[in-house]
Amino acid sequence: MPTQQPPPLAGPGSQEPPTSSAPGADPGERDALRRRVAERLGTGTIVLPLLPQVANQVLALTSQPSVDALQLSNLIHRDPALAGQVLRIANSPAYMPSMPIVSLQQAVARLGMETVTEIVLAASLQSGTFKVPGYEGALKRLWRHGLASGLFAKEIARLLRSNVESAFLCGLLHAVGKPALLQVVADAQRDRHRERGTRGPVPDEVLRELLGEFHTGAGLRIATSWALPQPVVNAIAFYASFEAAPANRREAAVACLADLFAADFDEPQPPFEEDIRGQPVIGELNLYPQDVAQLLAKRAAVARTVESMTL
Amino acid sequence: MTAVEARRCDVLVIGSGPAGQKAAIQAVKAGRTVVLIEHDRAVGGACVHRGTIPSKTLRESAAQATRLARDAATWGVPLRAGVEVASLMARLDHVVSAHAHYMGRQIDRNGIERHHGRARFVSPDTVEMITVAGARSSFTADIIVVATGSRPRNPPEIPIDHENVLDSDSILSMLYLPASLTVLGGGVIASEYASIFAALGVKVTMIDRADRPLKFMDGELVAKFVEAFQRAGGTYIGEQAIGGVTFDGVSKVLTTLSDGRVVASDKMLVALGRAANVDELNLGAAGLAANARGLLAVDEHCRTANPRVYAVGDVVGPPSLAATAMEQGRRAARHALGLGEGAGTETIPIGIYTIPEMASVGLSEDEAKKRLGAALVGRARFDEVARGQISGITDGLLKLVADGTGKKLLGVHIVGEGATELVHVGQMALLGQMDVDTFVENIFNFPTLAEAYRVAALDLVQKR
Repeated sequence: MPTQQPPPLAGPGSQEPPTSSAPGADPGERDALRRRVAERLGTGTIVLPLLPQVANQVLALTSQPSVDALQLSNLIHRDPALAGQVLRIANSPAYMPSMPIVSLQQAVARLGMETVTEIVLAASLQSGTFKVPGYEGALKRLWRHGLASGLFAKEIARLLRSNVESAFLCGLLHAVGKPALLQVVADAQRDRHRERGTRGPVPDEVLRELLGEFHTGAGLRIATSWALPQPVVNAIAFYASFEAAPANRREAAVACLADLFAADFDEPQPPFEEDIRGQPVIGELNLYPQDVAQLLAKRAAVARTVESMTL
Repeated sequence: MTAVEARRCDVLVIGSGPAGQKAAIQAVKAGRTVVLIEHDRAVGGACVHRGTIPSKTLRESAAQATRLARDAATWGVPLRAGVEVASLMARLDHVVSAHAHYMGRQIDRNGIERHHGRARFVSPDTVEMITVAGARSSFTADIIVVATGSRPRNPPEIPIDHENVLDSDSILSMLYLPASLTVLGGGVIASEYASIFAALGVKVTMIDRADRPLKFMDGELVAKFVEAFQRAGGTYIGEQAIGGVTFDGVSKVLTTLSDGRVVASDKMLVALGRAANVDELNLGAAGLAANARGLLAVDEHCRTANPRVYAVGDVVGPPSLAATAMEQGRRAARHALGLGEGAGTETIPIGIYTIPEMASVGLSEDEAKKRLGAALVGRARFDEVARGQISGITDGLLKLVADGTGKKLLGVHIVGEGATELVHVGQMALLGQMDVDTFVENIFNFPTLAEAYRVAALDLVQKR
């Protein structure tokens, strides 16, 4: 299971320094913020926002008289929010698929590019864009982590001669609760500031705690409301505890290992190459030292792909 | 690395598929200490986890779907459009895990010492094992049986990515049924999967260099199979080389044929043979080398050039059948232990789990004519047999091949549901060196498909 800490979240994008009454400085305020996040999660709907750059690209692509199928396909494959929304809408009664649509490529093949274009446009309009000053950087890092996890999951599945499409989606969406939670935390923090007349972003340590505590639940709520494929649901629920997965244990384990590789990609923490070999997930996936070496050798290629896809 | 003292055992078996398992059980039953090394977490090899058992389970589900679709109108039960792969695969997981569990228990019950790791020779009689965690240990044995099996062959010119272009391993973890599938190859695996997916409603195109699939099988049987495949919506394109395979980046795999045609499909299955798992064995340390086909060469006792090393199953090449592999494992162990192997048999049946099934034992019509100069053939179509009509199995055919006098039975060839079971009646007749008349003079249950033997025998008698 993941042992590395994710990189700073409310980092360089943050405009305002924390004040003495910011949540991190005061355990009481930290608890109050936590309660507020839990309340918002318990009552409100969770929205997984699109990166503004993704929304802009969707609009630019879909407004062309002849949509570039390859570009549109690439776009939906690299954005967790768009990917999830496309699956949700493709499975909705409006499109009446004869069988469940469980992959993005299946959606394109079954529904045709014209319909998928329509769905992508609807998805981008329904998602809304992320508008929380100070957290854009954090969202981008989570977005990059999801994409890197998806790409690492593909490499792991290839090595195992297992389903690459399923592995990619599980990797891409395994921590989908985190970006959705970012908005919830930011909204909860805004409530607290309003009540107390304070200002400033949530310190990294607190934000990390909140994302760690609540992201699986938030992810599962999104997965359920979007009726995501069962392997993805189980990867979200069990990637950090794949031994407990009642089904799709392998998908959960692949997502777990992909998450570890992606975490190292986010913020390299030597000696990763030694640490990774001792992880229980390596035994779970029956990866011998040579297999792990093969995966480690793929890191540079995955990094290049992520960089080339970064918006 | 510090040298690790090797443990001794009488027999060391590498690989726990059908061949390795039978070799280990035979040796332990002879009172020898046996160590079995398996590189996967579970025992059973490709047969249980990626080959025979999964594909036959999937076939059974597809055959049931076909029967349900056929009978739906009779019973007024509407069938939901589309089949969910998840439900097909859930059954598959259950069957595979049950079978692996059974095999594991059998190995443990027999007192075979089982280890999980990868094995490599370090000397002619010593094997080093490395675990997933990287721990090393060594075993020295009087007899070493290599039963490491095979994996799908990946031709370098075809970009198998396990995403759009799959092999026979990765196709088993498909998430959904594609609308269309191109199958490269015309052998057993290609034909089985092509007919399974066609039965599940996928538009399948099979492409191969040969003019027809399964060239080693009786042409009449194959023609029946191709007819059924085409009725299910499949297409066979023969006598074509592959010019290139590419993914369009969006949703289609494009296959360019040597005549310039381009076949587009959602997915592709590459089934162009299998490669023996010998790469990691460090054969040189045992004084061995793979032959030009990448296989381990053995004599009639499955013994390699190193007299204490035997090789069995897919690692020695065709026929690559689980039943044959089991027998090779058993015979290799008996020979190695000086127990005597018993009379060998040439009457090994071939069962192909296409839809419909095909099965064969003994000589084909062509082989009989070549060997004896003449042959007579009796045929029974399943639609002539009451059971065929009752069960809706009317597109089958049973052929009896006899010598030129029409008396001596030489071979039995069947296409149709139940063929792989039905062929054993013929196999026993061949083993008992029975005449064709045996089928005429004896009584079969009525109505059964076995009655086809009698009908075919009567047809043959009339041709004398």
